[in-house]
Amino acid sequence: MEFSKRSLVIFGLGWLTSIALVGLIAGYYYIEYQNLLAKLEEYKGQVMRVNICINYEGWNGTIVWHNGTLVLAGCDLLSATKRVAVLNYKYYEYQSPGKCFVEAINNVWNSGNKYWMWYYWDPADGKWKLGNVGADAYILSPNETVMWRYEVP
Amino acid sequence: MTGKLALKTGGFNEMNCKHTALLAVMTALCVGIQLTPRPPNVETTSLISFLVGFLFGAGFGALVGALTMFINGFFSSWGFAGIIMPFQMAGMALIGFTGGFYRKILGGNPNNVASPTKVLRLEVSFLAAFLTLIYDVITNVGWALPSGVPIIVALIQGVWFTAIHIASNVAFFGGAFFILVRIVSKLLGEGLWSSQKEAS
Repeated sequence: MEFSKRSLVIFGLGWLTSIALVGLIAGYYYIEYQNLLAKLEEYKGQVMRVNICINYEGWNGTIVWHNGTLVLAGCDLLSATKRVAVLNYKYYEYQSPGKCFVEAINNVWNSGNKYWMWYYWDPADGKWKLGNVGADAYILSPNETVMWRYEVP
Repeated sequence: MTGKLALKTGGFNEMNCKHTALLAVMTALCVGIQLTPRPPNVETTSLISFLVGFLFGAGFGALVGALTMFINGFFSSWGFAGIIMPFQMAGMALIGFTGGFYRKILGGNPNNVASPTKVLRLEVSFLAAFLTLIYDVITNVGWALPSGVPIIVALIQGVWFTAIHIASNVAFFGGAFFILVRIVSKLLGEGLWSSQKEAS
């Protein structure tokens, strides 16, 4: 198919339009990115990142990591987990330390002799250590790594 | 009808009653649709202004575009246009004017060229994209200058509105322009490429 000079000029204008549009869209996302970075800088010290692992090996053999999850500084494990998973838990007023007992994560319920237990990674010893308080009583540190594991305690 | 209603306005052609009535109807249609509540930046004013320019001459196209945006500036469902109105008028006038100019550069009957419909449809779609971008640049400049916002920032902030505007106009022009030209030509009782003597 042969195109006239007129057609080529008009197609060229259309092509220029698409280039301009793509450039503007790229600019839009660049500005958005810069705004988010500025916001993150503004909230520095008030937020932190933690790594949360949900280990379903005792159920279907999968392990899901939520690395770099952004939470408020001083956040407890229960609240942090709520950011990455659907939690079902019961509140026991007289239980201490930590009054919440997790019954299910992402609809995988405690059943039989299997329960959701949580661990924290001890960088000094280089191994997982069992949490010895309720998840709502454990205050996370920046960049800390924690794990929920479905297992026989 | 005894003959032609001599409507000489500057350099405009002589128009008969049919032409005048049709122009009035299209202007009313243009204003009516423009004032109807609709999604932001989805409009048919560009298409109708371009069409009027194409059929009745660049001057009429520019006039219809500018007047529609003038009326829209006061009665739009989005509120009073304010300082941006002259820029909207200029942008739409440019689209209407280009309709006439396009008809002129089209020259003789384009059905002589290979696959005319496809190529012409593509042409008007591409032209619509370009003109819509120019319109949005003009109106963004009109908003950015008095607000003290850098023009490039204004363009970037409104890029999704521009994208919607371009996409809808490309669809409207590509899908409807030549159909409307055919309908209007039939209404006028003239051949497709003889409805405007200026362009021949």
